Amino acid sequence: MAVLLDKSTEVIVQGMTGKQGSFHAKSMIEYGTQVVAGVTPGKGGQEVLGVPIYDTMKEAVEATQATASVVFIPAPFVYSAALEAVDSGIELLTIITEGVPVRDTARIRRRVFEQNATLVGPNCPGLITPGEAKIGIIPGAICSKGNVGIVSRSGTLTYEIIQHLTLSGYGQSTCIGLGGDPVRGIDFKESLRLFEQDPETKHIVLVGEIGGTGEQEAAQLVIEEISKPVYAFIAGNGTWVKPGKQMGHAGAIVHGKSGTAQEKLRILNEAGILTANTPSEIPNKIKENM
Amino acid sequence: MSMLYEFEGKLLFKDSKIPIPCISIYTDAESIKQFAEEIGSDTMMAKGQALAGGRGKAGLIKKVTKETAEEYIKSIIGREHKGKPVAAVMLEELVEITKEYYLALMLDNKSGSYLMLASTMGGVDIEEVAENHPTEIHRTLLPINVDPQTYHFMELGKEMGFKAKTLTQFASICVKMTQMALKHDLTLVEINPLVITPDDKLIAADSKVVIDGNAYFRQPSIAALQSQRDQHTDLEFEATQAGISYVQLDGDIGIIAGGAGLSMATCDLLEFYGSSPANFLDVGGGANDEKVYKALELISKMDVKGIFVNFFAGITRCDDVANGVVSANKKLNIKVPIVIRMIGTKDAEGIKILEENGIHAYNKMEPSAKKIVELVKGGN
Repeated sequence: MAVLLDKSTEVIVQGMTGKQGSFHAKSMIEYGTQVVAGVTPGKGGQEVLGVPIYDTMKEAVEATQATASVVFIPAPFVYSAALEAVDSGIELLTIITEGVPVRDTARIRRRVFEQNATLVGPNCPGLITPGEAKIGIIPGAICSKGNVGIVSRSGTLTYEIIQHLTLSGYGQSTCIGLGGDPVRGIDFKESLRLFEQDPETKHIVLVGEIGGTGEQEAAQLVIEEISKPVYAFIAGNGTWVKPGKQMGHAGAIVHGKSGTAQEKLRILNEAGILTANTPSEIPNKIKENM
Repeated sequence: MSMLYEFEGKLLFKDSKIPIPCISIYTDAESIKQFAEEIGSDTMMAKGQALAGGRGKAGLIKKVTKETAEEYIKSIIGREHKGKPVAAVMLEELVEITKEYYLALMLDNKSGSYLMLASTMGGVDIEEVAENHPTEIHRTLLPINVDPQTYHFMELGKEMGFKAKTLTQFASICVKMTQMALKHDLTLVEINPLVITPDDKLIAADSKVVIDGNAYFRQPSIAALQSQRDQHTDLEFEATQAGISYVQLDGDIGIIAGGAGLSMATCDLLEFYGSSPANFLDVGGGANDEKVYKALELISKMDVKGIFVNFFAGITRCDDVANGVVSANKKLNIKVPIVIRMIGTKDAEGIKILEENGIHAYNKMEPSAKKIVELVKGGN
């Protein structure tokens, strides 16, 4: 496999009977993902897209032995759904939902950590291993199988970069969307480690943005542990950025110098990471480096 | 994420039994008279309430008497401070101060836990202290599911030099701050300064409280206070009502994009090609034609030299975007050049709709950003 998921990964969709859940479950199934069950409390016994629906995660996991779940549930109910998933033995939990209170995410993350599981998100597009499977909402059509690993804090900007890579002939091993919230599950660091260990990944692309310190920690890890070439694009590098203002993502807000794109780019460059000024420069950088 | 006014923060402190000076909100001349009677003094502080720092330096905080108060209050109320209005004026009793401290509880994004920060260098800009005197800031990281007790903060109090009754008072304030943060989903509770009086009482002389905007659904009383004030301009407020994330900037080209990261990258590109964005605008995932129309309507109210629409459609559908653009173009009488870039879900349908209405659409981001910059510059 590439990282985190492949075509054999069995996935439960939490909130599968909802509008978002059923729409994206369909697209996941069409892409080749093994969606083996859905969970909606009170709707156990129904079927959606030929997939059985259960009332609880425990029943769904016992019936299917699935190891992954994806949450398409409104923000007020995410905390409970996420803990239920992890307490039922789910190893890879992906939360697509936007607007989850930050303390809920913090406590979910703690439980995930205690159970030795992995959390992706919230407020994220999910992940895709091209040609095999996807969890979440990344459009499969723009991806192609290959050996570039992508890890990103953004959604549509990631699609932009994936497409530039695909059109330039660089397929992807796995693309991981970390999400735009200040407190999130796996970050750049953990993703870099996964890509470092994955034999299918030869290049790693990091897509960051203003705010927080994830990119800076990634730079330190690259110096210490990563032997594969790493490339980066950071959104919010213009002089237009206003400190103290939130730019759409809750995490994209600059407090002090360390959160600026300029500072992040400086630290990434110092760590030997090749940085691009525009999304289309990423495939050029890979080409130059080969 | 949004901030409360000082007086609202102090009222939360009062509810949480954190000691504050006696306060009242000015309404009319009578309210000043009543307050003077209540505190038994003719002298008091008048503090302009605005959602930005540096109020003292800007002359929005002043010692007044019951005779001079109203004239001063009328001179500052409604004034703009760093782009935010002075929305109200709070009257506060004078507090005798022996020493000023800094105390703040914040949600630490890295650990997901609450972090209590304290310093004996209070009353000043804490970022300056952090930069120049890092050893003067003491920290206690709390457990993630903390049930706060005084013992959690005794060591911090000792590091601050507190002893005996002041030490237990300090720890008790820390406990109450943490309980208050847990109860109301706060990401920051800052007291700067926390003052000690000649009779050894600790009092919160200021408040800065920030609530997690994602938690409004379970904090209805605070959410009701907040809905309008998170926005800084009328257009920003209008955008939020429509579910659009919008920040006013001061450049030439109005932008509309889907997704926060892509919106930021779009702003960057305009600068890269030699122009500047007039705004940041993210219509969010799954935007329909009405939202795109609304976004164009917002931009059309601004003084822009051109408009750049940029979509990489995943959940969003390009035919919806195209329909929004077409109806805006018919109804809004937009006179500046528009460049539209769209790709992804239903892009062929979207491009067809635009072309039937005489609008050209691009499918690559960078050439189209370059194009709008050229059109705007050529028009000068």
